[in-house]
Amino acid sequence: MLNYIISRIFSAFIVIFGVVFIVFMLIHMVPGDPVEVMLGESATAIDREALRHSLGLDKPLWQQFAHFLHGLINFDLGHSLHSKKPITELISARIGPTVELTLASLLVAFIIAFPLGVLAALNKDKFADAGAMSFSLLGVSIPNFLMGPLLILFFSVFLGWFPVSGKSDFSSLILPALTLGTALAAVLSRMIRASLLEILNEDYIRTAKAKGLSRTRIIVIHALRNALLPVITLIGLQIGALLAGAVITEIVFSWPGLGQLTIEAIQKRDYPVVQVCILLISTSYVVVNTLTDIVYGLLDPRIRLA
Amino acid sequence: MIKRILFNVFVIGFFSSLSACTDEHSNTSRDGHFKPDKIIRFGLNTAPVTLDPLQATDAVSGRINRLIYQRLVEFGADNKPVPGITRWQQINAQHYRFTLVKDSLSEFPRFHHKKLLTTHDIKATYEAVLDKNRASPHRNSLKHIERIDVLDEHTIDFYLSRPDPLFPAFLVIGIVPEELLRSGHPFNNKPVGSGVFEFSHWPFDGQLFLRRQSDQQLFEFLKVTNPTVRVLKLMRGELDLIQNNLPPEHIAFLKDHDELKFLTQSGSNYSYLGFNLSDEVTGQVTLRKAIAYALDRDKMIQYALGNAARKANGFFPEQHWAGAQLVSYNLNLKKAVKLMQQLGYSKHKRLQLTYKTSSDPFRIRIATIIQSQLKAIFIDVDIRSYDWGTFYGDIKSGQFQLYSLTWVGINTPDIFRYVFHSDSLPPSGANRGRLNSLKIDQLIEKAEQKYELRKQAEIYQELQQQLHQLLPYVSLWYEDNIAFFREDIQFYRVSSDGNYDGLKNVHRLSQGSI
Repeated sequence: MLNYIISRIFSAFIVIFGVVFIVFMLIHMVPGDPVEVMLGESATAIDREALRHSLGLDKPLWQQFAHFLHGLINFDLGHSLHSKKPITELISARIGPTVELTLASLLVAFIIAFPLGVLAALNKDKFADAGAMSFSLLGVSIPNFLMGPLLILFFSVFLGWFPVSGKSDFSSLILPALTLGTALAAVLSRMIRASLLEILNEDYIRTAKAKGLSRTRIIVIHALRNALLPVITLIGLQIGALLAGAVITEIVFSWPGLGQLTIEAIQKRDYPVVQVCILLISTSYVVVNTLTDIVYGLLDPRIRLA
Repeated sequence: MIKRILFNVFVIGFFSSLSACTDEHSNTSRDGHFKPDKIIRFGLNTAPVTLDPLQATDAVSGRINRLIYQRLVEFGADNKPVPGITRWQQINAQHYRFTLVKDSLSEFPRFHHKKLLTTHDIKATYEAVLDKNRASPHRNSLKHIERIDVLDEHTIDFYLSRPDPLFPAFLVIGIVPEELLRSGHPFNNKPVGSGVFEFSHWPFDGQLFLRRQSDQQLFEFLKVTNPTVRVLKLMRGELDLIQNNLPPEHIAFLKDHDELKFLTQSGSNYSYLGFNLSDEVTGQVTLRKAIAYALDRDKMIQYALGNAARKANGFFPEQHWAGAQLVSYNLNLKKAVKLMQQLGYSKHKRLQLTYKTSSDPFRIRIATIIQSQLKAIFIDVDIRSYDWGTFYGDIKSGQFQLYSLTWVGINTPDIFRYVFHSDSLPPSGANRGRLNSLKIDQLIEKAEQKYELRKQAEIYQELQQQLHQLLPYVSLWYEDNIAFFREDIQFYRVSSDGNYDGLKNVHRLSQGSI
């Protein structure tokens, strides 16, 4: 098992390094120069060169990348090219809201998906199944840029229950979490249904029934527990995606998360901020998925032996 | 048992992390003296990039900085420079003397950290702009300053390397305290100025708090990118004021709401359709004229801008001191078709043009309308929208045929050199269309050599007539500025360049301030 965990962590590091390197090269290759964006067109060549030099952008790419890695090892993430703020300050202001929204969205997704998935599986081909899966289909089909404003219109404008957008108190979290959570719940509930249906046909479930165990016990202890394995993988992927920043939802709700920061930095060609954001996003993705793999390995010995 | 304990720890941790994170950026948590309803909230579509006046170039940073810092010079109704915190006299063609003036309370300006603003601060500020190592984006417009001499605490002389009657108009950089400047103070996120507003705090990019010095009123500048959400926040009372950057359907919607008030002001921000003159197709003046005659700007203004704009014929409106009276290119499809036929195009031989634009939905909408209107004159427009960095990069490198942009906050006719002189090809200027005309260059240079504004104005008017014939740009419109605010907001006014100076006098009715 230890070998399995070490190999997963090792591959995680390679993936993170690869992602950071590729993004570094790509962001430098696309058209658009941060110095031009910062100075405008009125600056002289001398000013542009001075700024390029002061930002270290006149060095060869490999040196810039090495400088970035060196800073990373020394926990110095550098400064934003545009605002000159330390990147740690920019990131720390965004990471909290991102984690908060991720957790809240997951909670919403669990609350909706589990009962819905189980209900659909236990009532296969009945009205409840059709209803639950229609709801799920609706959740998958409505894009967040539409779901968000619809929720705002209903809950904020008509009912006045929650603020329209922004991050203030707990109530401001509910609508963005609902927007993200319902989409995630739709996927999860379908997965739970499919997985549970498969498990319910297994021999050991029949044995449990023959032993006279209660229906609730069979479902909760024997079926649902085993049905969760594929769901864990999906949740791992979704957590990664949520931590990466749900850009559309963040924009609609003016939520100060990592996704918005990344997009803004890309638009301004703020290389150091883009690099750190991508590093964080890829790390969160890889860490969550590595943990998922490890948990999966713990739960199912066949995987770690394969 | 252990599993149950772990489960309980997870649940408690989950909820406590939610509640712990939630108050971090609360509107009230950082300031115990103000309850949310006391704050006046102003909605922005983008956040300011930097609060350092020596570095700021984007419009929002510039507008916020106007509130925090004071400037030597302001602009009057005819866009001529008028005294800001100084008045001036021209000693000779290359020598200007500026004298600090007292404010309405008969006091000299004072910085927010209570130190008096003196000419030493002015000298330090402008020397910092001119310092090559600082790489200020404003250095180029001021590089003809040869020397700055402080005569006394209130009088300062600027010596120029060449005569420039427009010189005072360039002294619009916010003044910062000398000692903080020298100590490397981070003005970008901890600004110290002498303006009406004092910096309070800036929890994150999209949420900035300033305090008005006169009455300690706290203002929140909140970035809400999505215009629909901005409108809904205003209606719900989560914002008190919003200004500009609204689609016409939102403007019409808001105008119908009695609980909101609105103000409009003719604007001076100039929108245009730009051509690449080095391209063998768009380099033909006949084609550009055909396009100018094929565009129905009245319809565009009515439907795409909700009548919140007026047609433009050139950079400056006629009432600008350097503005010219130009004959408008109004819709004339017959003439446009004839011009296209002269070029050999017909409904059987159509022209393909590429139109580049940013990914801004309003810009894409305008591009689509232009695409539709040009179909009538045998032009098929291929619209390509890019993120800002790519779009801007392509425009500057001349990789385009057509594009559309807006010039914001243009006050002085030196813009003509910047945009149309053959020496101003990017990256040395903004001659993005690669105009190369000896006549235009000569007129620009001739105007610059005149030492009286009146004579300069005459030549600039002639220049605009020439440009109007050459059509490196097809002028579209000057967008109006429109502000919507809640009923309890009083004394706001909208300026022609869309700045936020109206906030200096704004009050909330419920506070008993009137």
